[in-house]
Amino acid sequence: MNGVAPGRAARLTVRGVVRRFGGIAAVDGVDLVAPPGRITALIGPNGAGKSTLFDCLSGTARPDEGRVLLGGRDITRLPEHVRARLGLARTFQRIAVFPTLTVAENVRVGAERAGGGGSRGSFGYERDGLRTERALALLGLTAVAERPAAGLPTGTLRMLELARALAGAPRVLLLDEPSVGLDAAETVRLAAVLRALAADGLALLLVEHDTELVAELADAVYAMAAGRVVACGPAARVLADPRVGLTWGVAADDG
Amino acid sequence: MADGASLSLTVDLALAGLTVGSAAALSGIGLVVTHRATGVLNLAQGAQAMATAYLLRELVVVQHWPTALAAAFCLLVAAPALGLLLDALVFRPLQRRGAGPAETMVACLGVFVLLIGTVVLLWGTAPLADAPSLVPATPITLPGGHLLRLDTAVQLGVVLGLALLVGAVTRFTGFGARLRAVVDNRRLAELAGVDADRVSAAGWAFGSFTAGLVGVLLAPFLLLDPYGLPLLVMETMAVAVVARLRSLPVAVVTGLALGIAQSELTRLRPGGQLLPLVQSVQVNLFVVALLVAALWGAGRTVGDGGPQAVPGGGRPAASLAGQAARAAGTVLLLLPLGFQGDDLRRALLVPALALVLLSVVVVTGYGGQISLGQAGYAGLGSLGTALLISGRIPGIPALPPVAALLVAVLVTAPLGLLTGWPAIRRSGLALALVTFAVGTAMSRFVFEQPYATNGLTLDRPAFLAGDRAFYTAELLLLGAGLLLVRKLHGGRLGRALTAMRDHQAGAAAAGVDVPRLKLLAFTAGAGLAALGGGLMGLAGRAFDASAFDPVQGLVWFATVVVVGADSAVGAVLAAALLVGLDAGTAPGISAVVVGALAMALGRMPGGLAGVARRAVRWGEPRPVPVPAERLSPAGVRTRERLAERLSGRRRDGVVRR
Repeated sequence: MNGVAPGRAARLTVRGVVRRFGGIAAVDGVDLVAPPGRITALIGPNGAGKSTLFDCLSGTARPDEGRVLLGGRDITRLPEHVRARLGLARTFQRIAVFPTLTVAENVRVGAERAGGGGSRGSFGYERDGLRTERALALLGLTAVAERPAAGLPTGTLRMLELARALAGAPRVLLLDEPSVGLDAAETVRLAAVLRALAADGLALLLVEHDTELVAELADAVYAMAAGRVVACGPAARVLADPRVGLTWGVAADDG
Repeated sequence: MADGASLSLTVDLALAGLTVGSAAALSGIGLVVTHRATGVLNLAQGAQAMATAYLLRELVVVQHWPTALAAAFCLLVAAPALGLLLDALVFRPLQRRGAGPAETMVACLGVFVLLIGTVVLLWGTAPLADAPSLVPATPITLPGGHLLRLDTAVQLGVVLGLALLVGAVTRFTGFGARLRAVVDNRRLAELAGVDADRVSAAGWAFGSFTAGLVGVLLAPFLLLDPYGLPLLVMETMAVAVVARLRSLPVAVVTGLALGIAQSELTRLRPGGQLLPLVQSVQVNLFVVALLVAALWGAGRTVGDGGPQAVPGGGRPAASLAGQAARAAGTVLLLLPLGFQGDDLRRALLVPALALVLLSVVVVTGYGGQISLGQAGYAGLGSLGTALLISGRIPGIPALPPVAALLVAVLVTAPLGLLTGWPAIRRSGLALALVTFAVGTAMSRFVFEQPYATNGLTLDRPAFLAGDRAFYTAELLLLGAGLLLVRKLHGGRLGRALTAMRDHQAGAAAAGVDVPRLKLLAFTAGAGLAALGGGLMGLAGRAFDASAFDPVQGLVWFATVVVVGADSAVGAVLAAALLVGLDAGTAPGISAVVVGALAMALGRMPGGLAGVARRAVRWGEPRPVPVPAERLSPAGVRTRERLAERLSGRRRDGVVRR
């Protein structure tokens, strides 16, 4: 466990982020904090702006207004790979692995690009190898390490994506619907891994549709609707909030 | 009065420009209609045009058919039949499989290369000046004393008539409604009972007919040769790109406007150094338009959705197939050392071509970036070497050949940014168009200029004057190139490149600096291509602009993809086979083989290398399967019930598989 998540804890702070498409603000002034050692969840119906906010955090999109801070450093304008090297890792809703690389190589790509500089030379080589092995072991992938990623079952690929993110020794981990496509047993395992990571000092922010999982895992929940945060606080309170229930009900009516 | 004369000249030039303009508009109509009905940007249109023009000439000039009958046969029977054939054999299977734009593009290039190869095989490469014209060039006097040629008038009428016809069919008939449904959403249209396949077939038949018409109409104005006409028609893709592959009126207006503008530009005659440049812009306005259209806007029009990278064969090469291929490559490369005379001289092309093909492997195979412009970089290497040896570059004394080659490579490599920079924000078809346009612009504006065609010397140094010594030197340089390529494919850098090719967003999220890596791939590719091009020049002791024709670049690209885009050994074998096939049999055979294989690529992912890898793996012990997904007890019961029911039905003969 130690060494996968390093001791340099950092919090992810979002201040007044606005992202517009044409005249419509998909994200309309969102404030959010993902503190280290905690699991923060972002919920809301389809079209609430969760994915757009997520894109602004990971660097796929640039906010029109507001700031994103990683451990006090303004990362609003930094490209994705720089954010990754600063310790902001992410997974994708639609699994993103490199099918022609082996499982171990997939994870190694994450390890090698971690932290600025210093990973060249034999010391860096060994350190990257070590990180790769640890991440593989943590997520139970050692048995399939030398298999090409193509053709592995969905559950294994989800774990692989997570392993690659962790191999980069992140401080903050963004997870976009990590339980999609997992069966019950795999979801249990995922929850255990995420809890362990948080206990290790990582800041986790997950977008998730599965309210049961959110209720079970999250320390804090932000509920979004129409681009704004409508409720935030401890999971039990937010999930019981009638305003939150209303947004979900409206979404269900929509289709 | 002077104003009157000027106006009169303007009108005359505009009328003259209508000839080329209406051909371009016609080509645009074909591309737009095909794209709307099938979702494919038909890159093979130029080759279809050329093949139809050759067929018409054969029937009229050689077989002595009456012109009207021959034209009717070519345009109404042969061309649409070709379109239907391509649809049934090539594009419909791809569509069914949900192939991405990259695969479809390779299939188009396959058709292109196959048609060119077939024409070269049947009629040779010598330009023919006797292409029959369908309409006599009788001048008609317009009011005001302006002359309009009858053929131009007919051509213009055909363009406007076709555009109106297509517009009317789309708007007012049942077929048009079905077409619009398919354009909007193919899947949904199919669910609603529209036979999308028939719409596609009609699209291909019509597209092929217009392509043939373009070829037949343009051929009398040109020398008919297998490379020139297709390239000219490909340049008119600018028209379709400006029309965003959707709007017929925009395509027609753009085509006519570019034709007229090209004609009017002849009035500009600046003195001195600028003249050749202005003249080449004037002759090649469509290239400029294609470049501009591809750089500004193609990103939004074309190449969205589906996998964008050319499918590779998978990185971990099965050891047995890899060893066999390496052994075969080594033998093929060493064999010519025992050759004499002409055979040896022809073999000089092999290592040089192998280096150019390696550049495609690096950019497309490893980096996943489509580049149709590598012939341009090869040409720059060759021309640069020649200019440096001849001391033609101001401020630099004539260099000895070896130094000249080195400098040319070092200067060309950073020019890889010309295509690398656009690649940062583009992929798939959009990138293909940009790289093709850049390659074509290099050919037209750099290689085919007086300074490049007159009086350049490209002599080998004394110690490499003998063909055998030169071949040995080429082998050493190829070895160095292979080492570089290996460096790019292994270790940290190789993993990052493969990650970028496999999933760009995922690679960026994992901390891979994607833009820098793309630039690196294009720079390395440009350097390798320049080295190969320089060696080609030294081998033949001359700079030959036609060796680096953009169409040649398409053949090379298709070759590498066919062999297996990420196989370096494959590229070396392919170079030997390309040169060997054409020298050993008839010119054109290699293109026919490559084209046919590229068309079939949808059925053999990873190219020939992929097929070899799978064949070897098939014989090897299977890897241990991953433990199956665990099911809950309810899941297990469900599966058992399902199995029972299925096996019961199978016994009844209801479900057969």
